[in-house]
Amino acid sequence: MEGLFTALVFFPMLGALIVYLADRKNGTVRDFLAIAVGVIEFVLMCMLAGSGMGSELYIPEICGMGLHFTLDGFRGVYGIIAAFMWMMTLLFSKEYLGGHPHHLGRYYFFQLMTLGATLGVFLSADLFTTFIFFEIMSFTSYVWVVQEETPGAIKAAETYLAVAVIGGLVLLMGLFLLQHTLGTLEMSALLDAAKVCEDKTILYIAGCCTLVGFGAKAGAFPLHIWLPKAHPVAPAPASALLSGILTKAGVFGVLVVSSNIFLHDVKWGLLLLILGLFTMFGGALLAVFSVDLKRTLACSSMSQIGFILIGIGMQGILGEHNALAIRGTLLHMVNHSLIKLVLFMIAGVVVMNIHKLDLNEIRGFGRKKPVLKICFLSGALGISGIPLFNGYVSKTLLHESIVEGIAHYAEHEGAAITGFLQASEWIFLISGGMTLAYMTKLFVAVFVEENADASVQKSFDEKKNYMTPLSTFAIAASALILPVLGVVPSLVSDKIADLGHGFMHLEGEVHAVDYFSSVNLKGGLISIVIGIVLYVLIRRFTMTDKVGVRIYKNCWPKWWDVEELFYRPLLLKILPFIARVLCRILDSLVDGFVLLLRKTVYKDRKIPHELSEGSEFTHLLGVMLDWFRGIKRRILHQPIPEHDVSYEHKLAMQREKIMETNMIISRSLSFGLLLFYVGLVCTLLYLLYLGGRG
Amino acid sequence: MNTWMLFLVVLVPCISGALTPVIPWKKRTHMMIYLETVVIINSILVWMMLFNRPTDAFTLVNFTGNLAISFQLDGLGTIFAGLVSFLWPLATLYAFEYMTKEHHEKVFFMFYTITYGVTLGISLADNMLTMYCFYELLTLVTVPLVMHTLTREAILASRKYLYYSIGGAAFAFIGMIFIIIYGINPNFVLGGVFDPATVALGKDIFLLVYVMAFFGFGVKAAICPLNSWLPQAGVAPTPVTALLHAVAVVKSGAFATMRLTYYCFGTEILRGTWAQYLIMAVVIFTIVYGCSMAVKETHIKRRLAYSTVSNLSYILFGVVIMTPVGLVGALSHMIFHAFMKICSFFCAGAIMHQTERHYVHQLDGFGRKMPKVFAIFTVSALALMGVPGLCGFISKWNLAEAAVESGNVLAYLGVGALLISALLTAIYMLTIVIRAYFPGSDFDYESISDVKDPNWMMILPLVVFVIGMVVFGLYSAPITNLLTAIAQGSF
Repeated sequence: MEGLFTALVFFPMLGALIVYLADRKNGTVRDFLAIAVGVIEFVLMCMLAGSGMGSELYIPEICGMGLHFTLDGFRGVYGIIAAFMWMMTLLFSKEYLGGHPHHLGRYYFFQLMTLGATLGVFLSADLFTTFIFFEIMSFTSYVWVVQEETPGAIKAAETYLAVAVIGGLVLLMGLFLLQHTLGTLEMSALLDAAKVCEDKTILYIAGCCTLVGFGAKAGAFPLHIWLPKAHPVAPAPASALLSGILTKAGVFGVLVVSSNIFLHDVKWGLLLLILGLFTMFGGALLAVFSVDLKRTLACSSMSQIGFILIGIGMQGILGEHNALAIRGTLLHMVNHSLIKLVLFMIAGVVVMNIHKLDLNEIRGFGRKKPVLKICFLSGALGISGIPLFNGYVSKTLLHESIVEGIAHYAEHEGAAITGFLQASEWIFLISGGMTLAYMTKLFVAVFVEENADASVQKSFDEKKNYMTPLSTFAIAASALILPVLGVVPSLVSDKIADLGHGFMHLEGEVHAVDYFSSVNLKGGLISIVIGIVLYVLIRRFTMTDKVGVRIYKNCWPKWWDVEELFYRPLLLKILPFIARVLCRILDSLVDGFVLLLRKTVYKDRKIPHELSEGSEFTHLLGVMLDWFRGIKRRILHQPIPEHDVSYEHKLAMQREKIMETNMIISRSLSFGLLLFYVGLVCTLLYLLYLGGRG
Repeated sequence: MNTWMLFLVVLVPCISGALTPVIPWKKRTHMMIYLETVVIINSILVWMMLFNRPTDAFTLVNFTGNLAISFQLDGLGTIFAGLVSFLWPLATLYAFEYMTKEHHEKVFFMFYTITYGVTLGISLADNMLTMYCFYELLTLVTVPLVMHTLTREAILASRKYLYYSIGGAAFAFIGMIFIIIYGINPNFVLGGVFDPATVALGKDIFLLVYVMAFFGFGVKAAICPLNSWLPQAGVAPTPVTALLHAVAVVKSGAFATMRLTYYCFGTEILRGTWAQYLIMAVVIFTIVYGCSMAVKETHIKRRLAYSTVSNLSYILFGVVIMTPVGLVGALSHMIFHAFMKICSFFCAGAIMHQTERHYVHQLDGFGRKMPKVFAIFTVSALALMGVPGLCGFISKWNLAEAAVESGNVLAYLGVGALLISALLTAIYMLTIVIRAYFPGSDFDYESISDVKDPNWMMILPLVVFVIGMVVFGLYSAPITNLLTAIAQGSF
């Protein structure tokens, strides 16, 4: 059984290599192998989930601290969902990428690598293992975003990579601190270690670091910037995975931290709730204004992650009575993954047929394509939280958890929290309404309205073979699950929700929820009403008339982009400037010091000036005399005679003569005799002097 | 194992290197075979010695009193000698191919081989005097290598290198004299050679001398603000930049600071003093500074040189944490960085050798034309960043763990610096990788059709390094255990 863990994580990586090598030989073999790897992986995961509940695998000393895997209900659910999504997207990739034959071997290689890494994240039993696979996942998924190599893709990928690297590093810092404070990164030991930990401040700092790291991947505000950019440029199957499962890997990390280290911690819960509210509302707002199919879906993902974060936040706020929040969080994660799988694959169908994403250009594409229409509708209704579809179940649970929170705090203490929760409830309902509004907008644009250009509409309607049976199967099979989860929630959804209890440490009791009672339907209905009103407003205000045809207009101000407005200037202009100034100063410090010394204390002696004639002394004296003579002439207005000889020259000549004479004298015999004589005289005088004293 | 072996391994490369220009070679291949054989045999001798360590010291000359030139192989020396002797044969092989396009090969290989012996001398030195002598010698034998191309730039760079190194050595000299005069033991002893009672008489003087000596040796380890010689020295041929300015010379500097801190002055006395804080602050700054400069630089080799500046300070950071765990972190980064940086330098050298391109912006689309070199470069870039699964992660983790464990407030800041530096590393390394692999969909591959992978002599060392990086990254337990044993003095 333990071997299955290794197989699940490393088999796709091996498969990736094989597929890459196969690509060099034959495209069909490559596609077939890739799909085979996906299917085998799914079967393996089901086998593990079926029989290996509670099993563990510890590989010591690998990568420094060893790898540790385990399986429980939650991990099982997410492992299966991940494998399922990969299998479906691989099935779909065959046709989708067939139309983009651009470095396909590379694409498949990284897609399968990421599969292994993602399962590594979801099966990890300690945060160190999580981190290792999380990083691998970040880097390998980078290639998805940059795959098309258009300027837009390259820029989006840059943002993606920057967020991933920064997030990863902050996460690492958080893990250092946790390891230091708690002495362990084993998830099963974190809870007890955190309970006995004295120093809460450092725990909060560590927690926030991990939140930045995991939150960045989840797409939480304010690090969501990569999400609306990366999803539209990536190939559709990759977008589905990025949105459906990679963000969940981030959520997985947040959950581990929240439900172990900060179990029942109200402050932590509030922090997540606030982040969740911003993410949810911000994402919905961006989605409402977007006029690009995939961008709308991407912003929608951000918004749904917000819903999930609210669920996690409510787990902390509700303390021991958090059953609703726990169940809602897990179910919404599952629902969102599956819904986005369907919706992005449908967007992929649109792209591979007409290579466009703008709502005005793809308008009417789906009018006479019933299968596509039904699948999209199933996803749209699901995500909008319409009763009988899966999103309704999880949104109801999340909504009820907020309601329970209001009741709980109204009873006990804290009018502030109650008021805040009431406000949150309304933001929640409004965001739910916005979800409905933007999904309706997409549905109406793609499947109901006719294209502004009749000939284009005609070409759309004539397209019958818009996707292969394999792709149809991938989309339809994924879409079929959605109503199944929603129609009989007590049979399916509730069972799934039960699986998350152990992972999120449920302590209170679980009451059966009657999803279709009037109280619960009320929340859903309020959202629906808000949604309808909003949709009417959207049609009223974001569409303009142009030559008699109403078109979708991008009303979002272009300059309002957190990345362009804040992150890029900060990281690319301000910080480098400060660093550059500092560096330049320091870089020239030693050299400057040396230069200063060279110019002052250690100045070179001047190269001696070679005199053409005379000596230093005659030169100086001559120059001085010449100078005086010059002044004298100027004062007395004397003309300069024709054969004027400078004193300098005269003195030099004089010196020469003296030197010559001296040489003659000093070499002559008489000079020697003279000196001899002088010496004798001196001796004589000395003797006389001595005699005189004696 | 005989103790004279300790001196033999130092002598063999020096003598055979010096003979290189004298022997009348008929063919270049003969010289290649001769040099490679000498280097490999010497490395085998070193490794034989590592596994069968001579227990005693070998004294070559005994001056007066306790002044002696003597050699000994202890734990720390084992690591450095092992590292150097592993890398040298590979680097020599690479150099043969690289130097086909350069002049004055014989002289080059003479000094290149002599440097091997001198570096081993540093690692095997038993006392401060011996280490100092070889340290100075290292400066002298490497200057001609930097000056090799004899361009104006190279002459300036080598002059700067000389000034900085000699200046640094002067400060180190002060430390050496201090140790010889006041130390109770002339040899290196883990834990220090000073008597705490003596030190208490003039603690500030003691610390001042330590700081001076540290910065003196730190010059070779390119500690800020004494680093500017290193990027300039990048004008030397790549085998020199890669092996000497990423491993042998700069690691000698780091190695000397380890000897100074752990084996002479003693961490017990130094820990918690102003000297530690001062040096640590400078080192932390250098970490960030080196990376920032690397981000700014567009010349590939200079960018890597700045990266070296930063990474050397990782090692020094481990050293100044001044705990055994810190030494483990420092040593592990010393080993792993050697692999990562020599590998990335060799890749850069391969690019320059094959295409004469020197700047980052000229590398668009190279990933597909030089698949082997760039695959290897990517791995080394990821390793330098500290991506888990590769060796850089292990050493950074060790360093960070040591920093957190030491409880030193400044060390926490150091962990932050490590992370910032990892981010900057990601920027300066990945921009190269991304350019090479993703030049944009409209890129014209025809424009670089002349670009291709180099031959096996360049690829083989690279492959060995990559295997090393991955193996150390995945399974580092034996080497970490060995280093722990060394740091605790039980090896």
